[in-house]
This record gives sequence, C-alpha cells and structure tokens, in this order.
Amino acid sequence: MANITKKVSWSSRTDESGATGEGTPLLNGSEQPQYSRQLPGGGSLFHIGRLSTVDLEEEMTSDEDSLRGRPKEIPHNEKLLSLKYESLDYDNSENQLFLEEERRMSFIGFRCLEISRWVVCGLIGFLTGLIACFIDIAVEELAGVKYQVVKQNIEKFTEVGGLSISLILWAVLNSAFVMVGAILVAFFEPIAAGSGIPQIKCYLNGVKVPRVVRLKTLLVKVFGVICSVAGGLAVGKEGPMIHSGAVVAAGVSQGRSTSLKRDFKIFEYFRRDTEKRDFVSAGAAAGVSAAFGAPVGGVLFSLEEGASFWNQMLTWRIFFASMISTFTLNFFLSIYHEKPGDLSSPGLINFGRFESDSVAYNLYEIPIFIVMGAIGGLLGALFNVLNYWLTIFRIRYVHRPCLQVMEAMLVAAVTATVSFAMIYFSNDCQPLGPDHSEEYPLQLFCADGEYNSMATAFFNTPERSVRSLFHNQPGTYNPLTLGMFTLTYFFLACWTYGLTVSAGVFIPSLLIGAAWGRLFGILLAAISPSDSIWADPGKYALIGAASQLGGIVRMTLSLTVIMVEATGNVTYGLPIMLVLMTAKIVGDYFVEGIYDLHIKLQSVPFLHWEAPATSHWLTAREVMSSPVTCFNRLEKVGTIVDVLSNTSTNHNGFPVVVHMTGSDEPAKLCGLILRSQLIVLLKHKVFVELARSRLTHRKLQLKDFRDAYPRFPPIQSIHVSQDERECMMDLTEFMNPTPYTVPQETSLPRVFKLFRALGLRHLVVVDDENRVVGLVTRKDLARYTLGKHGLEELQLAQT
Amino acid sequence: MAPRNVNLFLVALVVGLLNGWASASSDTANLTAPELVGEMTQIPVSSHAVVAESPVFKPAESFFSLNLLAAFPDDLEISEYCTQLLHLFGQRYVTYVNCMVPSARPVKVCQNCFASYGSLGAIYHNISNEMGPGNVSCKDSLLRKDRLMLVFLLYSNLKEIWEISVCDRCVIKDKTQDYLYKGLTTDTLYFMEALNQSLTCFEKFQQGNHSELCKQCKITYRDLNELYGRMDKNGTLCIDIEDAMNVTRGLWSKKFNCSFPREETVPVIAVSCFMLFLPIIFYLSSFLHSEQKKRKLIHPKRAKSKTSLMNIQDKFS
Repeated sequence: MANITKKVSWSSRTDESGATGEGTPLLNGSEQPQYSRQLPGGGSLFHIGRLSTVDLEEEMTSDEDSLRGRPKEIPHNEKLLSLKYESLDYDNSENQLFLEEERRMSFIGFRCLEISRWVVCGLIGFLTGLIACFIDIAVEELAGVKYQVVKQNIEKFTEVGGLSISLILWAVLNSAFVMVGAILVAFFEPIAAGSGIPQIKCYLNGVKVPRVVRLKTLLVKVFGVICSVAGGLAVGKEGPMIHSGAVVAAGVSQGRSTSLKRDFKIFEYFRRDTEKRDFVSAGAAAGVSAAFGAPVGGVLFSLEEGASFWNQMLTWRIFFASMISTFTLNFFLSIYHEKPGDLSSPGLINFGRFESDSVAYNLYEIPIFIVMGAIGGLLGALFNVLNYWLTIFRIRYVHRPCLQVMEAMLVAAVTATVSFAMIYFSNDCQPLGPDHSEEYPLQLFCADGEYNSMATAFFNTPERSVRSLFHNQPGTYNPLTLGMFTLTYFFLACWTYGLTVSAGVFIPSLLIGAAWGRLFGILLAAISPSDSIWADPGKYALIGAASQLGGIVRMTLSLTVIMVEATGNVTYGLPIMLVLMTAKIVGDYFVEGIYDLHIKLQSVPFLHWEAPATSHWLTAREVMSSPVTCFNRLEKVGTIVDVLSNTSTNHNGFPVVVHMTGSDEPAKLCGLILRSQLIVLLKHKVFVELARSRLTHRKLQLKDFRDAYPRFPPIQSIHVSQDERECMMDLTEFMNPTPYTVPQETSLPRVFKLFRALGLRHLVVVDDENRVVGLVTRKDLARYTLGKHGLEELQLAQT
Repeated sequence: MAPRNVNLFLVALVVGLLNGWASASSDTANLTAPELVGEMTQIPVSSHAVVAESPVFKPAESFFSLNLLAAFPDDLEISEYCTQLLHLFGQRYVTYVNCMVPSARPVKVCQNCFASYGSLGAIYHNISNEMGPGNVSCKDSLLRKDRLMLVFLLYSNLKEIWEISVCDRCVIKDKTQDYLYKGLTTDTLYFMEALNQSLTCFEKFQQGNHSELCKQCKITYRDLNELYGRMDKNGTLCIDIEDAMNVTRGLWSKKFNCSFPREETVPVIAVSCFMLFLPIIFYLSSFLHSEQKKRKLIHPKRAKSKTSLMNIQDKFS
C-alpha cells in the first residue's frame, strides 16, 4: 500500500480538511511505512517494531467495521467534537534546553522579563483603547452620514409623497454596508464572525482555535463590525472589542507579526503558549474594559472565563492593561469630542449617570426586581432556543460564503423595512427636547416641533437607543411603542446573531431588556395606587436590561461588575446581582447561555469547571485513547517522519519510552515529546550521525523552537532524503522528561481536575510498572457531557 | 411665632415671591402667578418706608407695635452709602420683577425686560465690586454678613432665570457700559418680522376652510420654519423666540391641521411585504437546493472493552 497522505496544513480552514485531499507520495522512497510501537490497550503485551506493517488506519477500520459499520456521515449537530481544535501547550516542557537556558539567565535577565511583561500589558491596553476609539468614531461618522441622508430623504418625501422610495433607500444603504462587512468575513476570515466571545472563551479555556488570534482576523473584525453597526443591524460593537483586545495581546506579546513577516526581535521569551495565553487574558480584559468602561469587570471577565490560576501578579498586570485601555479610549474620545483632557466618559457604551433621587430604590422593590430577573431568564432562554435552531439550520444549509453574504444582506434589508414600517405606523409623537437629546429626530406625520417617538428607538444606533431608554424623561415613550419595539427587536436580534458578520449580542440584549423594563416601569407606575414617583421608568429599564442580558449570556460575577461599573453607581450592585442570579437560575433550567450553545455547536472540546457529575465510576482506562504511538528514546528518522505524516492519526504528543533492544521486555515511559518539537528537530536535522560527522554543528537552542512558533511548518514541507531516513535521532535532550502520569484506575473527575488546573494537553496513563497504556487528551475528556438521560458521549467528527 | 420686624416681613415676602419664580418654569406658574402679582403691588410702597426708616430707628412711628429691633452702634451697622445702594437695588429689583410677570405668557421676558435687568445687574455690580467714598466696600456688609445672604440670593435667583431663558442671545450688550443692554439683535427683529407675516397670514385666512389657509400661508410659514432652523443651528435662540415658534407651530399643526397626512400606506405596505417575503424565499430555496452539510464521524482508538455509549448507559442505569 502506497503511502498516500492528505495535505494537512496546520491552520487548515474548515472545508479543506474535510475534502479528500490530493494524494501526494510523501517521500522519494515509496517503500512501505514501517510502523513502530503500538500498544494494545488492555493487554500489557508490547508489540514491537516491525511486527505490524499494516497502516494504522487500515487496522482501525477493520476492527471497527464489525462493531459499528462503516464510518458514517451525519448532519451537523451539537453532540460532536471537531478534530480541527487542538489544545494549547500551557504546561511547560522542562527539557534540558530549558534548564540550560534558565541556568544561563542572570538575575537581571529575570527582572527585565518581569518589566517587559508590564510593558507588554501597557501596550496591549493602549492599542486596544485606540482600536476601540477608532471603531467608535468610524461607526459614529458612518452612521451619522447614513441617517442624515435617509432623514433628508424622508423629509423630502413626506412633503411630496413617495415614502416607499425612502424605505427602499434605507434598505439599500443598510444592505450595502452589511454586504461589505459580510464579504470581508465570509470570504476572508470566517472565524471573525459573531461576537468573538465564544472563541476567546475557548482560547482561554486552552483550546487552540485556528486563526483566532491573527492580524488578519483583527482587521476583518474591526472593519466588519464597523460595517455591521453602521449597516443598522441589531448588533453591538462591544463583543468584538473583546476579541480585538485578545488579538492585539497575542500579537504585541510576540514582538513580531507572522502575517507581515516582520520580526522586531523583542519579547522572544514570550513566544510560547503559556505566556501567550496569559497575555491574551489581559487583552480580553482590556477589550471588555474599553467596551464598557469597566476595568474591574474586564479583569473579572478574564479570570472567570479563562485564567486557570488566580495568580496575584498576573491579575495585577491584567488590571493594569484594562485601566490603560479605558483611559486611552477616554483620552482620545475626549479629543474627538473637543474636550481634550476630560477623562470621564469611559466606555464605548456609556449608560450615562444614574444619580438623581428618583432612581434610588427601596427595600420593597427588591421582589419586583427579582420578578423582572425571572422574566429576563425566560425571555433569554427563548432567545437562546430560537437562536440555537436557527444556527443549526445555518450550519447545515447556509454554509456557502455567497449564501451567507446574501443572508446577511437580507437581514439588513428586512431590519430597515421593519423599522420603517414601525415608524411609519406609529402615532406616538413627543415634543422635541430642549437639549436635542434625539440625534436624528424624524417628524413624519407628527405636528411641527414634535418627533416620532418610535424613531428614537429604531432610527438610531443601538447604543443611543439604550441610553435614551435609560434616561429620557418619564412619558417620552408610550407603552404601545415600547411593546411593539420589544417584540420586533427581540426577533430581529435573535435572527441577526449568528450571521456571518462580526457583531456582538450585548447591546441588542440590553436594548430589548431596557425596552420591556421601561414598559414594566410605566405599567407599575400606572397600577400603583398613589401617584408615587418611585417607579421611575429609567431605573426599571436598567434592571430589565440587566436581566435580559443575564438571561441570554448567563455570565455571573463579571457581568454584575460590568453593569455596575457601566452605570457608575455602586448602590445598584445589589439589585443587579439579584436580577442576574435569578435570570441565570431560571434560564439554566431551560437551556444554556448563548455563548456555551455556540461553543457546543462549533464542536469545540471545551472543558468546564468540573467533570460532569456522576462520572466517578469512569476510570482513566475507559477514557483514554488506547494504542498509543510511542517513540524510542533513540528513534529512527524514517519512523518519525512516517508517524508524523500519517494523517489519519494526526497525533500531537508522543510518549518516549526506553526499550531494551533485542529483548522482549516492556518499554518504560521516560518522557513526552510534541509534534512541534519533532518538526523543528527534523528541520534542523538533529541526527546522531550528523552530529558525529560535523563537529561544528551548532547546538540546538530553545530559541530555534520559539522562532518556529506559532506556525510550525507541516511535515510535508520538510524533506528528508533516503539516506537521512536511516539516521537516528536522540530525543533525550528535547523531550519533557517528567510528563504527568496517572494510573489506570484514576477516576474521570480526578483526571479532569488535573487537566483543568494544570492546563495539560497530554496525560499519559501508565500501569504499575510505568509502562504506557494510554493517553488522555482534551477530546477524550470533553466528550462526556451530562445530558437529559444521564451521561452522554459526544462523537468525534471531521469538520 | 417669633416677633417679626418689618424688614424681615417684607424680605420674606420677596423671597417667597422669588421662590415662586424660580419654579415658574414648571407648570406651577399658572397657579401662583396671580397672587404673586397681587402682592407685588404693595411692595414698592412698603419698601420705601422701610428704607427710609431703617437707618434711624423711630419706635413711635412704626406701624407695628412689636418692633423689637434695637439700634446698633453705627460702626457695626452699614454705612450710609451702602444703605443707599441697597435702596436702589430694591427699587430696580422691583421694577424688573414687575416687568417680568406680565411677560410670562406668552413669553416675552427678554424683549420686554432686558433694560431693567441690565440696570439691576449694574447696581449689583456696584455693590459687589466698587469701592464707595472713603474706600468703603459694601460687599462685606451687604452681601455676606449673615447666613441668609439675602441680597446675593435675590440677585442670583433672577440671574438664574435670565440664564435659563438664554436672553443673552437675543439682546445686544451695550459696549460702553457693562451690564447694560442696548436692544434686540437684528436676528431677533428679523424673526419677529417673519413671525408677524405668518401670523397676519393666519389671521387673514382663519375664517372658513383651513385647507385654504394651509395652501396660502405655506410659503411664509415654511420660511419662518427655515429661519428658525438656521437660528437654532447658530445658537441665536432665546426663550422668546422658542416660545413664539412653538405657539405658531401649534397653531399650524394642531389648530389648522396642516401637517402631512399619512397617504401612502398602500405602497409602503407593498414594499414592506415584498421585503419580508425575500428571506422566506431565501431560506426555502437554500433548504431545498443547498446540500446539507454532513460531518464525517471518526472512531477514536480506544481500549477495546467498554467504550461504547451503550455500555455507559447500561452501567449508568
């Protein structure tokens, strides 16, 4: 059988790996791949070397066939784990190179490292703030132009007739903006779709999501979000900020850009997953803090979502990054608003100040708030369920890029249409305020000097609508307007989230919540016996917004702090917390939060905080993948190349074993080596024979591994000649000599805890004589979930 | 109740009046305005009396028998000069308030009362800054001798009213004298002119069919509206103009019903339905024609015994 391999690139796009791939004979020699150590699972017997010349895939299918039939294809669903996701190498490989480097490094060197960490965090904060500022200004200007044009058009046609033309103009403008955004996302960088929070959550969880922290992703994300917000979709620009911050962090901390092929030769020490992940958590925090003006909320977000350890210094640095980011944004926005030096208007979304007496709350309102929390939980669950079905439909049927662009354009057009119809048929006219709080007042059929109240809600960027719902005087909206608005916006937002545009769900949720919260407040004031002023609609709008958001995203601590910081009023801490708790409890009864749903739908092997309950009876023996491909400490190059190029397995970690040649004694575990390390070794041709012959051969350093990071070349690009295949490679120096191991009887929760707390990627399962029995990876653990009928197992799939 | 001196009584009156005024911007004005005006007529008379009396206390002539104010030694009380200033302040204050109240509805506080406000400002400026004869400043003795700081309070209330109504935009300052105003700005006069045109037009066609009025006065009204819009952008609007415009707009839209009618419901509905129909077609066609994305399942290598889901569930149940 010829050695046919698929072309696997390390950052393969979704569809590539699913295709059959071109078959290219890998090596110039067309000989049979000689398969090495395969350890059969339960048995302790050790098959050695040349015993099996069968290709692994062959072996696997042949014995699985009888059990389950041919590998089948099923429609996409949530109960899958995709193969394209890998773990990050959070665990440090303490090989000899590492120890050497550490020995060489002086005390000053370590101090410099510490200082450069701070510098990087400061840079992350600064750049994230700048990006937020850019997005904000661009959206404001573009949306301003759009609304001015449409407004003038509407005014003209109100007088002479032909308003349907204005409607078409509005729809076309919206679609045009959205088309640009959707094309950017669908054709250039699909990972930039959506809010980016699920992806960053996965990254911080330890999953390497392909292409998620690239420069290209950042560009597409930033311009995509500008287009989609300016295009009038029911979206916000806050979620994408978090993603942008994360990308900035991942880029800045590396001191180079692989995409631009520029290496600044700085921060080289940080070129590994451990450091990068810490910086990414700082970047995500900076993003949150720029988006909501909530530095503490940002820190809590990244701790809640990602950082495995509560490391004091790391937390402090993250906080530094978030602070810098908020105030960079403030500073530049203050220049833009021509009040340079005024640092007090933080955040892309500014809830405004809740300080007057009418927004104080009383003890007897707490139960009302809790009821509102429950409503928010219910509505949030409804939102998530609808969006879940929609997303499944989209994954199954709307997967071609051009279809996705069309869908986004249609949504934009329909959004404009629905908004227009709402405004057209609304009879709610309100007098113009003295301070022009309405940015683009539309008069339409109202009396002169009045404006259409529905238009403040629809004919505006969502952020402004939220603010006007929070702060406008009681009586600005009548209940019918609010009711209609809530209803339409709910469905629009639900329909919009998950489109192939980069856009967040925070603002639409807030807007829906604020609308029904205000409605709630107005009704309360109407039914309360005396004409009391306690039911201030603005206050209830805030509580409604919090509960709706909590019902949809189900974040806890960080969301509370974000909301409190965004309102700038600590006394709201208690009601917001209660509301979010209630919303989460009620919502979780029905369905998960929207981010978790989308993570599931993308088949990401996501590890939650705890192993699923009732899984203690599962032991490592049942969880692990069993015959493990191992290498000898002194391994033949040919074997390594063959194993690495076998696409059907695509393993990343290989236990290294000591094996007495010639004897049948079982091999014992002595280390673990990663695919990326092997590839670097092969590239540099670190072969025993060569080292002997060439005395001048430079010794490989840790720097060589860092230079190749993070895009290690695929094995296909490394050419190994026939002679070299016969050489030997000594892995002793490079392998991690002390990998974590567990005995076979370890329970699943115990394994899980190790994985989650240490950020492991591979966990070797050994028997009582330290012989390799199996290997546990993230996918082995993530496939167990607690479903409705007890423990369920997810299936692995190629996507 | 504590025995009250005449001065204090009057002072209380004026303060009450002012407090009424401070809230006059809210809708309580209608209620309180008439009675305040009534009371105000008394003020000039009595305030005269007070000012005349206060420097030298004459118990026999006092109207109230319970006047307990004892005379202070001269050096502790206010000087003659300051008393005069205070007197003058009182007079001008009354003049200004007298002017404002009748101009409350329709609002004409800027155009009618700028002169009296200017002179009030001038006298207050004298009190607060200027040195009188013999280098006596009345600032300390009149403005901040006591907790109440009545003169300051009175003036600042009026000043606030002036500022809320942004009259400064409609009147021109007299360059030669601080705090005095020369007259209305040309913009304001021009607006009044335009307003008068519209109103005359309204009056002319008021009888009979309003649609005729809508047609005839449309041009003048539109010009007026545009002028107002321009002034709004320039920031040359004061309360007088705003109020006049509001009233005119009310006349136009509510009384004469000249707003645009909602006529094109059918085309709007048609276009909307068409737009709403598009996604349905889109989703249907992609459901029917697009091939469903399938996932290839991969069977992981496992230790052979107990990996299948069936086993798990058996064990679980």
